[in-house]
Order: sequence, then C-alpha cells, then structure tokens
Amino acid sequence: MLQSNEVEEAIKRILSHKGVVGLVVINHEGIPIKSTMENALSVQYAAQVTQLLDKSRSMIKELDSNNDLTFIRLRTKKHEVLVCPEKDYAMIVIQNPTES
Amino acid sequence: MADRDRKAELERKRAKLNALREEKERKKKEKEQALKAGATGDAGSLSSGGAPGPSSLEDVDALLTKLDIEPVSARVSRLNTSSEDQSSSSLTPDSSLAAATIGGKQDAASKAEELAKRRAKLTVSQVTQTNIAAQEKVTYTKETQTAQTGNDHRDSHAFDYYVLTFDDGQVDEEESSLSMDHRLPKLPPGILPHGFPQVVDVQPALTASDTKQEEEQKVVKPKDLSEEEKQTIIMSPNFQRFVDKSARILERALSEHQVDIFVDYAKTTDGDDAGEEKSATRLSLNRVFYDEKWSKNRCVTSLDWSAQYPELLVASYANNEDSPHDPDGVCLIWNTKFMKTTPEYVFHCQSPVTSTTFAKFHPNLVLGGTYSGSIVLWDNRVEKKTPVQRSPLTTSAHTHPVYCLKVVGTQNSHNVISISTDGKLCSWSLDMLAQPQEILDLQHRQNKAVAATCLAFPQGSVNNFVIGSEEGAVYSACRHGTKAGILDCYEGHYAPVTGINPHNVPGPIDFSHLYLTSSFDWSVKLWSLKEPRPIYSFEVTGDYIYDVAWSPIHPSVFADVDGNGRLNLWNLNNDTELPSATVQVDGPAALNRVSWTQSGLHVTAGDDMGKIWVYDVGEQLANPRTDDWSKFAKTLAELKNNQTGDDLDQLSLSSR
Repeated sequence: MLQSNEVEEAIKRILSHKGVVGLVVINHEGIPIKSTMENALSVQYAAQVTQLLDKSRSMIKELDSNNDLTFIRLRTKKHEVLVCPEKDYAMIVIQNPTES
Repeated sequence: MADRDRKAELERKRAKLNALREEKERKKKEKEQALKAGATGDAGSLSSGGAPGPSSLEDVDALLTKLDIEPVSARVSRLNTSSEDQSSSSLTPDSSLAAATIGGKQDAASKAEELAKRRAKLTVSQVTQTNIAAQEKVTYTKETQTAQTGNDHRDSHAFDYYVLTFDDGQVDEEESSLSMDHRLPKLPPGILPHGFPQVVDVQPALTASDTKQEEEQKVVKPKDLSEEEKQTIIMSPNFQRFVDKSARILERALSEHQVDIFVDYAKTTDGDDAGEEKSATRLSLNRVFYDEKWSKNRCVTSLDWSAQYPELLVASYANNEDSPHDPDGVCLIWNTKFMKTTPEYVFHCQSPVTSTTFAKFHPNLVLGGTYSGSIVLWDNRVEKKTPVQRSPLTTSAHTHPVYCLKVVGTQNSHNVISISTDGKLCSWSLDMLAQPQEILDLQHRQNKAVAATCLAFPQGSVNNFVIGSEEGAVYSACRHGTKAGILDCYEGHYAPVTGINPHNVPGPIDFSHLYLTSSFDWSVKLWSLKEPRPIYSFEVTGDYIYDVAWSPIHPSVFADVDGNGRLNLWNLNNDTELPSATVQVDGPAALNRVSWTQSGLHVTAGDDMGKIWVYDVGEQLANPRTDDWSKFAKTLAELKNNQTGDDLDQLSLSSR
C-alpha cells in the first residue's frame, strides 16, 4: 500500500503546480490507468494523445532510426499539453499556462 | 465398431449408386433405339414416292459406315433429339439449314407447322427491374491503421527489400511505384510484406462517417480494463518506476513556465526600472526551499553541494517535535536549476541527521551522520528512501552525535571522515560501513576528550585539519604520522564553537592558512594557523552566531548567520567593522547554517524552521577584482598591527 501512496503523492505534487488542470496516465494501448479528470475527457485525451505519440514517434524514427521521442510539449491558445512518454506508459499533464 | 458400421454403410451406398447408374444407362439406350426406329420409319414413309426404298437407305448407311462416316439415320435421330431438347430456344440459322439440307425429304408444310408450334410457346412476360447497390464493406480497426504507419511498415522494408532479388522488369515497376509513393513498403508489386494482402497505404478516401465510426470504436475500447486490472498495474514496480521518473521530469517542465517564452518586447513601451534596482542591491532573495511534509519545523543541520551537479544541494534536517510518527532524520536534495518547489529526492532515517555530505566522487550517493552516532548512506538509484547502508552502533565507532562529515582524498583513494562530540574521529570506506578503517581519539591535556562540534580540512589537505569544540577552543590536528591527534590549541572563544571554515579561494596569494570560526559568544574570529591568537574578532551581532563561510571566489568576502535570522555579508577589503550587506529573513527564524554555491553568486542559509533561503549576491560584491588579493594581504597586515596595538593596550591596562 505504501508504494501506491507514492504514486498518489507524485500525482498530488504535480497537481499542486499552479495552472495544472489535469493529469492522465495511459498505457501503451491508450487506456487511461490513472486520471484526475472526468472519465469521458480523460478517455478522449488518452485516445488522441496515443495517436499523436504514434505519429510523432514514427516521424522521429523515420528521420533517424537511432532517435526516439522523449517529451512532447504542445502549446495551444487555451492550454498546454505535456506528454512524457515511455515504453509502456505515458503521463499527460494539461495545464493552463496563463495562470502560472 | 463405428468404423465397421460406417464402412458397411458406405458399401451399401456405393452399390445403390451403381444400380442407379445402370438403370439410367439402360433407359438411355432404350430411348435411343426407340428414336432410331421412329426416324427410319418416318424417312421410309416420306420417300414412299419414287425414291429408293428402305432397303436402299440401309445400303447407303452400310456404305457410309464402311467409309467411317456417320450413317444418315443416326444423324437424323441426333438432329431430332437436339431440336427437341432446345425446344424453348430459337433455332440457329445453321441448324435450320442443316435440318433443311440433311432432312431434305421433309416438306415445307411440316416445317411451317413446326415453326408455328414453337412460336406459340413464346410469351411476353413482365420484367420488373430493381437495383440493389453493392454494399460497400469497409471495416477497419484502429490498431492496424496506426500500427501500419509505424512499426510494421518500417519492418517490412528493412530486410525484405535487400534480401530478395528481382527481374529487371519488376525492378522498373518497383522504382516507378517508389517514386509514386515513398511510404509504400519497398517491395516489388505482387509480393506483399505480410501473409495477407493489405490495402493500408493506398487507402480509400475515408468519409466523415468512417472516421467517426473509428472514433467511436476507440472510445468504446478502453472500457475493457477493470478497476482491479488498473489497480494491479498501479501496484506493479514497472509502473512505480515510470511514475517516479516521469513525475520528476514533468515537474521540471512545469516549473519552467516562470520563463515566459511568449514575451513580446515590441508590444509594451512603458519601461520599468526594477531590473536596475535589483542589480544595485547586494543581497536579494531568490527563492526558498521548503517542503510542507518533510522539512516543516525541522532545523536545517547541514548543507552540501554536489561536485558533479553543481545545482544540487543536499540538506539534512533534525527531528520535527510536532510529528513524532514521521522519521526523525530527513535529508532532502534540492535543485537550484529548475524552479520546481519540491525536493528532487527525499531520504530519511531513524535518528535525526546532524550532518550530511555528497559522496563527492559518487554522484548517486549521499552520506549522513546521525544524532545516534551512526553513519548512513543513501543511494538515489534505488527506489527507497531509507538508507542502503548504515554503520552499526558499537563502541568501536561513534557513540555520540556526529556533527561533522567530510569526504577527503582523490577519485581513487578517498575516505569519509566523521567526528563526534565524544572526541572520536573515524575514517570510513564507502564500500564498508560495518566498521571504520581508522579511529583516532582526539585528546588534549591529560586525556581530556575534545567535544568536537565542527571540522574542516584546509584546501588540498587530507592529513591536517582544524576542529572547533564545545569548550570554545579550536584545535589543529592531523590524522597520520607519529604525532597523530591534536597538534595545537587556539584559544579565543568563550563559548562553544559552532562553525569553522578555512579560506579556500585559489589565487595569486595563498591564504589557505586562514580560517574563520563562529561561536555562541556573539563573535566571528579570523585565525591563522601560524598564530595562536585570533587575527581579528568581528563583534557586531547581539546573538549567537551559528555558522560562517568564505566566498568560494572572492578572497575577502565571507558570510555569517545568527540566531536572530540575520545573514551578514562581509567584504574585509571594504570594511572590517561593519558587514557590507545584511538581510533579515522573514519570520521569527534563527539561521543555523550558511553555504555558498560553487559559482559564488548565491548564498544559502538554512533556518531552524525547515526553510532554506537562497539569496542572490550582487555582482559587485560577489565577483573579485584582480587587485583584491593584494588588497586583502594589506588588510590582513593592518589587522595584525591593530591586534598588537590592542595587546599592548590590554597589557598596559592589566599592569596598571
């Protein structure tokens, strides 16, 4: 149970940052495992980000097969989406940059 | 049993089938014979006039058969059967002609009658036409689509293309196909990358409804992970590692936001002169390191900087009396590079940590000295906050609080030196904390143990060191040699020495014999190893002075902190009477530790409430000029002259 607390703690820490709207942890299939947002929205984010990750990763690999994707930062008018992908999971943070 | 039954049954069926076939054959023969008879009769009746009789026809037949030609009778009979078979279909001109020529004996009347009979069979029927459009079946699953653009496609051409060889024509075709679409797998047409034909790269245009369908599929899919499954994933060590790592990265990324990358300098014209003011100030608060859970109400007991990563600061904390259930000792690693507000790493142990240091040559290891006397070792590579190694509590090592911990030596040969208030100095190897490599009892005068509170090695030295003690005396000592132990005693303080710091700014003039001490007697004293009396005493504060530290880049600048929450910055070349800059931290805190960053541009001060204050030092004050070394030598000479003057005064006073 202690380890699960650590996950919670890490997530709480990220959420405590100013302007952070939500966090979703997805697996490689694009299924949300942990989310702080409402279900429909997190499922949507998970699906879209999975596609984005696949596309970005293949783009990077096409340019240089030794290269790999490590981080995505998408600035939009309304939010900023930060994606930290790894082999099996990816962590998505949506934040409102104007608030910070 | 079943087999035999089955065999028997098969046999029976076969027999039945044979019987049926025979019967069919027989019927066919009968029919043929009957027809033959009819035809010959017909022909006979037709040619009853002057034509040759049946006998003559038979003769012709015989003749024809002799010449291997079909007899007339057979021909006629076949014609009849065929015309009867195709009763519904109209006669082709050829066959009607053949009938006319071969059956030339048939008269026109009978022919007309036959035609009429056939025509009567035709009827006009109503045809209703319905158009059923072919249903377009396009079923895609999202996975194959996305995967195809990624891995599969790459795999397909990586090997196959080069291994297979083709005919010239195929190669040409292949090249043209390549020029048309570069994303196609580089295979000749006709050879597909996988077992099944794929129409992925040349996709039919997807209609809006198709994509919608896909999205719906996607949306529905994630439901197949139940809560328990999620929970097991969360509990898996792989996931834990991932969260630990990615959370750290994301936090850094998030805190980068304080830099506004979209700042538009062309937009606003009203200039603010805050920036100018800032450069003019000598000490300005940069940030505060504080963690609600781990550092609240804990006194900062020591600070150290990483040699490999100059932005990393390790701070040790004593126990929090308000929360007896939390671990007593805490060590936090803070990062000054990123503006994140949480510690990079959290370590803790059972006993309050009274001193800490990075392992200097091992970027991952952090050492701690505890109140109980045990030395602990943490490793940030392992996913646990508790020590990976600890020294046992035996009388052969420390049995009193370890107030100072240093790593000395070189990359290949270095030791951890610890000192406790029972006068024991131990040196340890990082590989083995089970027992110290060396023990030195620090005694001075009639086996009286020195209650050491602080320890410092002058620049570059591994053997000689200075220690401050609880009784107020400062000692120089050495680790090795015939006279290992205390060498000299420097008396000057009237209260426990709290901090000691040797001068270690490399420069044209060597000042490494100088060191500063702070004490509860409200003074900071400047010493030289060459003289038994202090060179100078700085006495401006009306409170305990807890720590003192030389600037790492400026030869005449040092900082001290006191129990009133004040941080003083001195530049001896400017003024020896008053500090050049003073700042008071917010709140009723007492500052316990002070430390400079390696750059010499920031000063950090740890207080007794768990906060570490990071101050920017104004560049004018922080950066030395080239003549500062010679100036400092002059200042020192002046101070010494004053000191002798003071001594003479004292002498004259006492003699009076």
